[in-house]
Amino acid sequence: MSPAEETGAEPSTPAATTAESAPTADRAGEVVLRAVDISKTYGVTRALKGVNFDVRAGEVTVLFGENGAGKSTLMKILSGVEQPTAGHLELDGERVELASTSQAVARGISIIHQELNLNANLTVRDNIFLGREILGARGIDYRRQAEITRELMDRLEEPVSPETLVQDLRVGQQQIVEIARALSTDARILIMDEPTSALSTSEVHVLFGIIRELTRQGVAIVYISHHLEEAIEIADHAVVFRDGELVAAEEAEHIDLPWVVHTMVGRDADYDFRDRERRHGDVALSVQDVTVADPSTGKIPVDHVSVDVREGEIVCLFGLMGAGRTELMEALAGRDELAGGRVTLDGTDLAGRGIGDRIAQGMGLVPEDRQRDGIVQMQSVGRNMALASLRTWVRGFFLGKRAEFSSVARTISDIGVKTEGPDAPIMSLSGGNQQKAVIGKMLLTAPRVVLLDEPTRGVDVGAKGEIFSLLFDEADRGLGVLFVTSDVGEALTASHRIVVMSRGQVVCELDPRETGRDEVLAAAEGTVPEHARTSATAGTSGPAGDPESTSRTSSTSTTNGASS
Amino acid sequence: MRRTILSTTAAIAATGLALTGCGGSEEADAGGEGGGGEGGGEISIITVDPSNPYWSAEIDTAETVAEEMGYSTDTSAHGNDPDEQTRLMETAINNDVDGILLDPAGADESVAIVQKAVDAGIPVSLVNAEIAETGLAEAQIVSNNAQGATVGAEAWAEAMEYEGTYVELLGKPSDNNAQVRSDGYEGVLSQYPDLEKVGEEIANWDRQEGQEKMEQLLSRYPDIDGVVAGNDEMALGAINALEQEGALDDVEVLGFDGNDDAAQAVAEGDMAATVLQPITEGTTQAMEVLDEVIRTGESPLEDEKVALDCVLITEENADQLQGFSLEQ
Amino acid sequence: MSSTTAQQAAAETQRGSRFSFSLGSVLVEARALVALAIIIVIFAALNDNYLAVSNLTTIAKDVSFNAIIALGMLMVILNAGIDLSVGSTVGLTGAVAGNLFRGVDLPLTEAVMFPATWVIVLISIAVGMLVGLVNGLLISRLNLAPFIVTLGMLYVGRGLTQVLLGGTNITNELRGQEGLGNTGFFEIFASRPLGVPIAAWVMIAVAVVFSLLLTRTPFGRWLYSTGSNERAAELSGVPIKRVKTRIYVLTGMCAGMVGILQIANIRSSTADLGEFYELNAIAAVVIGGAALSGGRGTVRGTIIGAFVIGFLSNGLVIVGVSPFWQTVITGAVIILAVAVDQIQQIVQRRRAQARAVAEARRVSEQAERDRDSEGKEAAGV
Repeated sequence: MSPAEETGAEPSTPAATTAESAPTADRAGEVVLRAVDISKTYGVTRALKGVNFDVRAGEVTVLFGENGAGKSTLMKILSGVEQPTAGHLELDGERVELASTSQAVARGISIIHQELNLNANLTVRDNIFLGREILGARGIDYRRQAEITRELMDRLEEPVSPETLVQDLRVGQQQIVEIARALSTDARILIMDEPTSALSTSEVHVLFGIIRELTRQGVAIVYISHHLEEAIEIADHAVVFRDGELVAAEEAEHIDLPWVVHTMVGRDADYDFRDRERRHGDVALSVQDVTVADPSTGKIPVDHVSVDVREGEIVCLFGLMGAGRTELMEALAGRDELAGGRVTLDGTDLAGRGIGDRIAQGMGLVPEDRQRDGIVQMQSVGRNMALASLRTWVRGFFLGKRAEFSSVARTISDIGVKTEGPDAPIMSLSGGNQQKAVIGKMLLTAPRVVLLDEPTRGVDVGAKGEIFSLLFDEADRGLGVLFVTSDVGEALTASHRIVVMSRGQVVCELDPRETGRDEVLAAAEGTVPEHARTSATAGTSGPAGDPESTSRTSSTSTTNGASS
Repeated sequence: MRRTILSTTAAIAATGLALTGCGGSEEADAGGEGGGGEGGGEISIITVDPSNPYWSAEIDTAETVAEEMGYSTDTSAHGNDPDEQTRLMETAINNDVDGILLDPAGADESVAIVQKAVDAGIPVSLVNAEIAETGLAEAQIVSNNAQGATVGAEAWAEAMEYEGTYVELLGKPSDNNAQVRSDGYEGVLSQYPDLEKVGEEIANWDRQEGQEKMEQLLSRYPDIDGVVAGNDEMALGAINALEQEGALDDVEVLGFDGNDDAAQAVAEGDMAATVLQPITEGTTQAMEVLDEVIRTGESPLEDEKVALDCVLITEENADQLQGFSLEQ
Repeated sequence: MSSTTAQQAAAETQRGSRFSFSLGSVLVEARALVALAIIIVIFAALNDNYLAVSNLTTIAKDVSFNAIIALGMLMVILNAGIDLSVGSTVGLTGAVAGNLFRGVDLPLTEAVMFPATWVIVLISIAVGMLVGLVNGLLISRLNLAPFIVTLGMLYVGRGLTQVLLGGTNITNELRGQEGLGNTGFFEIFASRPLGVPIAAWVMIAVAVVFSLLLTRTPFGRWLYSTGSNERAAELSGVPIKRVKTRIYVLTGMCAGMVGILQIANIRSSTADLGEFYELNAIAAVVIGGAALSGGRGTVRGTIIGAFVIGFLSNGLVIVGVSPFWQTVITGAVIILAVAVDQIQQIVQRRRAQARAVAEARRVSEQAERDRDSEGKEAAGV
């Protein structure tokens, strides 16, 4: 589709004129977009179940919900990325079909995605007008585009030159460019999916200022964030999703953090392993002062982390996004090299061992992003599950197919993967069963310790309980488990010990039997509860411990020590 | 740009020049000491494909003759790609060489770049193929492909006893010589009503393709009597195919070029005849003209176009053929 | 209790396995087989000699060269790679063999060494594997793009071939001399055991070995999984770099074997031997149902793909299609074969989608009915 066609059909008024042409503020509170009985099904997974939902002009509607609750799916439907399986959308009371994002944009609906959708090799200007180039007599009118870009960026208080390449910007600045692009379409309805995840505190304040200004102009904002406090701060109106259903809707004055958390999690999960008998043996996995550096950014996502996992123990590594959990897990699994520290399994130092060696030694990772890192999409359930332990079935030159088959089939039935059989395509399974298959793959390697990164991401509630039940069963047989989560409920109900991480460091260790939800959350933000057992390494890090200041202090002290 | 590493037949090629009676206008043996004082510049030799024995002989001759005249040489190959030829020529022009010996890639395509060299004051001597313009190059010395095809076809027709069915293997369609030779064969063979051409295939001058195509043609015409091929490589491929089917004794094969493998095949009776392109002689002549122009500014030729007649190679003289030269 | 259910599950899946496996692979290869059948029927109808034994022998030989290369190519394509250097490697191994027959000047002595024929063959194939090893190491260790590395190697290999041959063909020397102990080359490598060209036997051997490698060894599983999702394979402990290096060695080995067979076939080592082999091989692999994006493809399909090309090009000559049009038709058939596959996949996807939508509707209606009945119960109470 040529940009001329698109812009010609519905001339996008450049943002410079927003003030004049913006929807009038007196429509505030009016419902502009309504989702009616929207359902969405992926294969056998039902991501949305008959959702009714209003978006009002001049208001910020915040969507709350855990991972997999259906928020993102709804956003995709509202922005034309996907079409509902059942139900429909009404725009200004009129039934509409949004078959593509460009149709949605033409009707004034814009989305800022969680993942940055910018072309790093293009300039800020070109990114903002990509696909909607302003055509002049001599092709693209770059000057006009640059002018509008400059005005937009000024308005967002991020005055970078329109000719700057996006790859030269900080991630936060790139996020601002993304917002500028959405604004440039003169959207009446602006959907923001985790817009602050890459922003600094001051940038967040600027963004909130802009959101306020936009709502004054009558723009409807739909806002999603995992950062609950932030989201509550900006909300005019909140709706909460759980398991594909809209479970609560409330005005801003009636909501607070406990309410949001409670409604999000709903009935406390139907599993609770806190009181289960535990038999812990010797230390199986020992992580000492592990540091991981990211050479491309120069950041240190994991900073001197120490944690032990004993036989039969289930340790939860709790932290918010960006706390360094995934980086730690991948380093433990052997994908990245350590910048410092030591990892031992049953007393054997794992330094210099690759992923395969570590699996053979008895430790493997169930990764966070199942589609990207967990499953081989083209292959069957059985082949996926067998992948990590093929060597154990080799007889002579060849794979002992019968041995492989019976092992895989046994594991499938032991852990309850719902599949037609080992030869069913892995993609025919629901998210929860795919996850079980990935866990099964690791269990087939007869591990001593299993690492799991967000094991319940994109898994429905029923399957969550099954997955943890499975892990506890294995723990009873002596398996050590280290899992990462950002779900407080999970951390509290499905672990023997909670290790809280924040900004690359261990803040404290908590006992789930004596800890409340708020304390865990507070710890993840850096506030150590009084009764917390401080961890060996991070015990000294103060409240709201800014890792930079801490490390600076410590490094200065060592320098001093050395010089004196 | 490729500098060729060649050693094998250079000496033979250089000394075996005393080929007579071939319509050459200049005495070949001029690599002498006479112009040594004035020589000593640089000559760019731009040719087609050093991996092919035919052009390999051309390069050997050109380098040897030029070095005897006191020039340094720089050899490169364009692989019959006019764009590559343009690049190589421009490099030579930029290097301000004293002369260029060019085996052109295409008659029309090469005019502009030769013009450019002439405009830059660099004399160009053409060998082996022509360009579609006169008055630019100092010399255009080619072997007479049409005449060669005619004598080859005559000899082959005689071997066939003027009757039977035959197939033809054609060279690269983009190469003008493929058509010239095919027309030359046709001109002779159409005179004999009992010689019937039943099929033709393109084998791109290549031995393996010639063999593959011949195998397939044999499946279609198991009782074929003869094969005419546009060059020796294809003919040798056809001979392999015939040998495998045990049909070689009953089939007469005609080649063209006169390379060493073909000479041997003719000598052993596997190939009825081939035609020697006097490439060493032509190259020597072209180089001499270039030398004369560089030294005196005057071309010794009255007409820049010289067509050297080709020599028929049959069982009688095949054993004297080596490195594209007939030993006396 | 759990053991019986496990056994049942195993039994069921085993039954299901055989069925779904053959069905799946047949679907993938179906279009190649159909294309092959159509080609054979058409040309057989047009010319009686097409299916004559002598012509089938000719086809078998020509196909074998391409198929052996294509089997190597399949390995790298399964890994979402490509090897453009195989054609040059064919030429290079041929040139190496030719030079060895010509004799090697031993340094520091006046002596010239003439290796025995079998030594020559082994050295030449080893050179092919060495080229592959260089490709593989550059690609796996330095993370370079296979396309670029092997494109570069295409030039390097061809250039080295020209250097080794120095503008001449090596022909007579291949016959060897009794006194030098290097005879017997043609007698073995241009022979026809049981009337079938040696190249076809080699093709069969390579096909069997590769087929076992792909289906019966961990290496095969690793290869398929890295081609489909390299990150997932890596996290499952698959030695992805080693797998990558080895497949390029395998393609180099295949190219080396074809280099030997081909110079025996044309009885000469020439500088342009093997030109464009890489393209024919890729075509065969793709026609055989493999995905260039990796993870999908079979030995059987590749062999069929090579036969499609072989039967087609032979048929076009046999029937007497104008040489110029032959090229056009060959290209069109390649495109057609692949297009049919895509269309088939699109149709399948649409059907699957329609099924999913219907299922979702059924589920939501069911839920509604449940809610209604619940409501009635509640009202009743």
